[in-house]
Amino acid sequence: MADHSEHPASFWTAASLLPPLIAAALFAVFTTFLPAVAAGETLRYAWGWIPALGVDFSFVIDGLSLTFSLLISGIGIAVMLFSGRYLAGHPQHGRFSLYLVSFMLAMLGLVLADNLLVLFVFWELTTITSFLLIGFSHGSEVSRRAALQALLVTGAGGLAMLAGFLLIGAETGTFELSALREMGDVLRDSPLYIPILILVLCGAFTKSAQFPFHFWLPNAMAAPTPVSAFLHSATMVKGGVYLLARMHPNLAGTNTWLWTLVIFGAFTTVFASIVALRQNDLKQTLAYTTLMALGALVLFLAAPGGYAVTAAATFLVVHSLYKAALFLTIGCVDHATGTRDARRLGGLARRMPLTALAGGLAALSMAGMVPFIGFIGKELLYKGGLESPASPIIVTGAIFAASALMFAVAGVVALRPFWGSDGKMPLLDRPIREAPLPMLAGPLVLGVLGLYFGLSPHGLQVHVTDPIVGAILGDPDMAKELYLWAGFNLALILSILTFATGVAIYVFQDRIRERIVAAESRLMNFDALWDRLLAAIGTGARVVTDLLQPGIASRYLMAVFTTITLLIGSAILIRGLDIGTVGLSGVDGVHVVVFGLTIAGTLLAVVTNSRIAAITGLGVTGTGVALVFIMFGAPDVAITQILVEMLIVVLFSVAALKLPTLPQRLPFFHRRAHAAVSIALGAIVAGVVIAVTSVPLDLRLTEFFEANSYPEAHGRNIVNVILVDFRAFDTFGEISVVAIAAISAYALLRQRKTKGSQ
Amino acid sequence: MIAADLSVILPEIVLSLYAMAALLIAVYNGKDAVASLVLRLTVAVLFLAALWVGLDHNDTRVGFGGMFIDDGFARFAKVTILLAASAVLLMSENYMARRNLLRFEYPILIVLAVVGMMVMVSAGDLMALYMGLELQSLALYVVAALRRDSVKSTEAGLKYYVLGALSSGLLLYGASLTYGFAGTTEFAGILQATQSGDLSLGLLFGLVFLISGLAFKVSAAPFHMWTPDVYEGSPTPVTAFFGTAPKMAAMALFARVAHDAFGAATADWGQVVALLSVASMFLGGIAAIGQTNIKRLMAYSSIAHMGYALMGLAAGTAFGVQAMLVYMAIYVTMNVGTFAFIMTMSRNGQPVTDIASLNNLSARDPLKALAMLVLMFSLAGVPPLVGFFGKYYVLNAALQADMAWLAVAGVIASVIGAFYYLRIVYYMYFGTETDPLDTVETPLLTSLVVASAAVMVVGIINLFGVEGFAAVAAASLVQ
Repeated sequence: MADHSEHPASFWTAASLLPPLIAAALFAVFTTFLPAVAAGETLRYAWGWIPALGVDFSFVIDGLSLTFSLLISGIGIAVMLFSGRYLAGHPQHGRFSLYLVSFMLAMLGLVLADNLLVLFVFWELTTITSFLLIGFSHGSEVSRRAALQALLVTGAGGLAMLAGFLLIGAETGTFELSALREMGDVLRDSPLYIPILILVLCGAFTKSAQFPFHFWLPNAMAAPTPVSAFLHSATMVKGGVYLLARMHPNLAGTNTWLWTLVIFGAFTTVFASIVALRQNDLKQTLAYTTLMALGALVLFLAAPGGYAVTAAATFLVVHSLYKAALFLTIGCVDHATGTRDARRLGGLARRMPLTALAGGLAALSMAGMVPFIGFIGKELLYKGGLESPASPIIVTGAIFAASALMFAVAGVVALRPFWGSDGKMPLLDRPIREAPLPMLAGPLVLGVLGLYFGLSPHGLQVHVTDPIVGAILGDPDMAKELYLWAGFNLALILSILTFATGVAIYVFQDRIRERIVAAESRLMNFDALWDRLLAAIGTGARVVTDLLQPGIASRYLMAVFTTITLLIGSAILIRGLDIGTVGLSGVDGVHVVVFGLTIAGTLLAVVTNSRIAAITGLGVTGTGVALVFIMFGAPDVAITQILVEMLIVVLFSVAALKLPTLPQRLPFFHRRAHAAVSIALGAIVAGVVIAVTSVPLDLRLTEFFEANSYPEAHGRNIVNVILVDFRAFDTFGEISVVAIAAISAYALLRQRKTKGSQ
Repeated sequence: MIAADLSVILPEIVLSLYAMAALLIAVYNGKDAVASLVLRLTVAVLFLAALWVGLDHNDTRVGFGGMFIDDGFARFAKVTILLAASAVLLMSENYMARRNLLRFEYPILIVLAVVGMMVMVSAGDLMALYMGLELQSLALYVVAALRRDSVKSTEAGLKYYVLGALSSGLLLYGASLTYGFAGTTEFAGILQATQSGDLSLGLLFGLVFLISGLAFKVSAAPFHMWTPDVYEGSPTPVTAFFGTAPKMAAMALFARVAHDAFGAATADWGQVVALLSVASMFLGGIAAIGQTNIKRLMAYSSIAHMGYALMGLAAGTAFGVQAMLVYMAIYVTMNVGTFAFIMTMSRNGQPVTDIASLNNLSARDPLKALAMLVLMFSLAGVPPLVGFFGKYYVLNAALQADMAWLAVAGVIASVIGAFYYLRIVYYMYFGTETDPLDTVETPLLTSLVVASAAVMVVGIINLFGVEGFAAVAAASLVQ
């Protein structure tokens, strides 16, 4: 994205200036809540929205949401100032600013929401704005793929989370987080606890890119650098962490929660810091360190201990400060030199001293050096790890490995480009100049803040970590104090060991990198698996569609008949079918002949390969049925039946003469399937008919007509009476229709005759 | 007595008379020369009829000895049907005229189909049900094959007819079994006969056959096969019509039969409807992924959406019916907009339905692309658009009826659904342009697309009060 320096446009446009002003205004508003929240208050605002569904537009401001809001709007100021200059003159700068501000508002909505559904709505809005921002350079195939990948992974996770929320609503009867907090163990004791936990964790883990959903985050670096700094490091990806913290009072405290978070968090954090060391693109390096931080945060939200939660709260702030600053610094370097390749950059401190200062400050905090806030964060992580109820060795070990690697990565990110050798620097046709002030201001302030909070952590503790611990654990007294010097203890020894290991890794980084690259090629590549998954979905869908929707009418009929067979069959299985006793006592020779004829006609229709023979066979069947009517005393029905049969046979034969001959016989398998379905359906319908007729019919109507046809209508033939008297209007209508049809037919025929004669 | 009966069915009578009068006028005045006039007049008549029915505040009225019911539920469905039909007709004039498809029979057949639907949703008796259903179906069979010179269109019409006849057969079989065992065709009578609790075996079979026939009409899987073929083969305005009014009518009829006639046997049909719902949601979602033709895609999308609407019905409660009605009203609105958009897709004057032709539309027509983006997100159920609330309503209904599994299945299916709607957005915004579409000015269609999208956005404030109407309607159906 370094190619915007060719647009010599002004920074003083609405697209550049409005976003940082909006962010600054929001930041100012949020700071006014600090005293109240530091005093332990929780503020809640609600408006009715869709009362029928129990959805209120409700927001809550407590330690957790206020800290997030301040981080979002505060880092927002820095990022938006930066991007105002970084993208100045870009033809779609206005659109970019719109997306960025929309994202910020959505993210604020997410962390402030008190209603789970409102939270979900904003959650998906951040996903969508992230999609638009990653795909901002839509001319590039890589960006498009990354945008879609991020959308699908986080979007799917978000919907899983919604399912979890719905289950929570079903279990507790409320969607309000503040009401849920009061409910204690209702969810933990619920039989649906495990499904709810899995669904909610799916949402949190995809958003916060925990292994194995991590692969979208490094790809998302295709976005412009300010977007990576803002969304994919400091704020949006922390949404998952936020959710875990929010649900902590209701879902945490079980062994399932503890171990799931410990295992996923620990693995992600170690795995990501190793892969981070291997990257050459500095943005990719930072992306993996972000994964490391997210893993650490998940790891420390596992246990309900005071140190663990204080550590998570502190590290949340620490990471946001240094990571946003580093991203923006890399953006400045990229802007000035046109490259982000760690192997080529070097010696920039002389030409870009302020950028070097900002990067150096942030990197020192990231490395956990005294007296930066990063050091305090790391000390707390060790203390939290040592008191972890899961397994102090796993947690502390993971943090130790990750911190040592972070120390080395901090060197790679800040030491080399600024103070390393500049032998491999790309040759540019323009001098490398210091980044402009709007781009520098943010990283400098953030870097200095890291130092300031390190020197005087008390303000941070009172306004941020204590209220967060209060919000998560329900008791602000469990919060631990933030000290730069906490005395000589195990955590300090671990810190010193970390520095030593980190230095060693930095010195041998090239050799280690080779090893990692070699190992990586032998491991699973989740990004490639993703492509395979997408391809498989497409293929699978096509296979299913071809199977179900071949465009052949006979298959459609098969499907309908199969379904009917299954539906009725299962009804029979559930209810049982009483077909009574079917005896053969009354059968005589005539019956045998008539039914033999009917069955023979059916068989002919099935077996023959000629249309005419088939329709003749059906005609024979119909005639057989008519004979049955005659035998059981309904000659009028029989006559109708015979007339209809004759008509059908004649009409169909006329049409069949024009039709092409039947194609070759169906394949053996299809014939068998057809036969199976036909026989099953025939048997079931026959069974139903026998069962149904063995129950006495409701004879009220028969009795009514028997009783009334003579006295009221003076007719002895009940059918005739019904036709001309009881239902006279119907008959009249029928006659009218037939008459009209006849007239139309006559008109058509006449027209044809006159046309023919002309 | 007759006068009171007629007043209950007056809107239907007026519309039928209008259809006949229009037919006569057109036949005696140069046929297709007045097609455009007849169409515009029909748009106005349908719209006025919607106002008439909608502003009617009568309580429940029953005509013809219980055969015809005019209640809040019927009025809600009728207003939706009439407005949808009016909007679709309005959209089609230009499209049909440009492709020489504008026949005067088209608006008249639509009116007849609409009358059929109105009878369906007001049916209080199996006879009235069948009469309405067949009036609707016969008109639709013809409309589906309107493009007589196209093999695809005639094939679609014929397939629709064959499968439709089969489903009518099933329905009739079910109706006669029901009649035989309940002793009446009247819904109220059937309800009484089933009040005792367990359904008799004959009634159970009758119910299964009735549901199978109705499932065909709402195009629920596995009775959906006609849908993609008919959607693809028919001219796009006709497809738009298929995707809106008849869907509402069939769902309303389904609810009517389920609650008015078999309301005492909720447990018996609830499970079957839930199965149909799950099958439709998943089949519609999965099959839509592989589609490259936007009309076929919308066909599968409609199958999936019917699955969601059936979920509301499966709950078997008044809230479920309310959810279904809200869902259908939202769905119909989204579909009107989406099909208006599809009608604007053309290249060299020929309609195009290939999804890939949308590549990079956002650069050339940002407004339309944005509106379509909103509609696609809404169809996918992405919050906070109105489509999300439709889904949320039915999911909630399923949850309240202790069908958590159904709700979870619905959410999973919507993940699949999101995939293919987003693909369209992806093409519009990030695709590389190959062969651009025409930029013929179609102000009417474009405004309809934009209006429909605007409804999806503005509606989040209070859904335009639809939920209130739907609640009243549902209360009148489920007591």
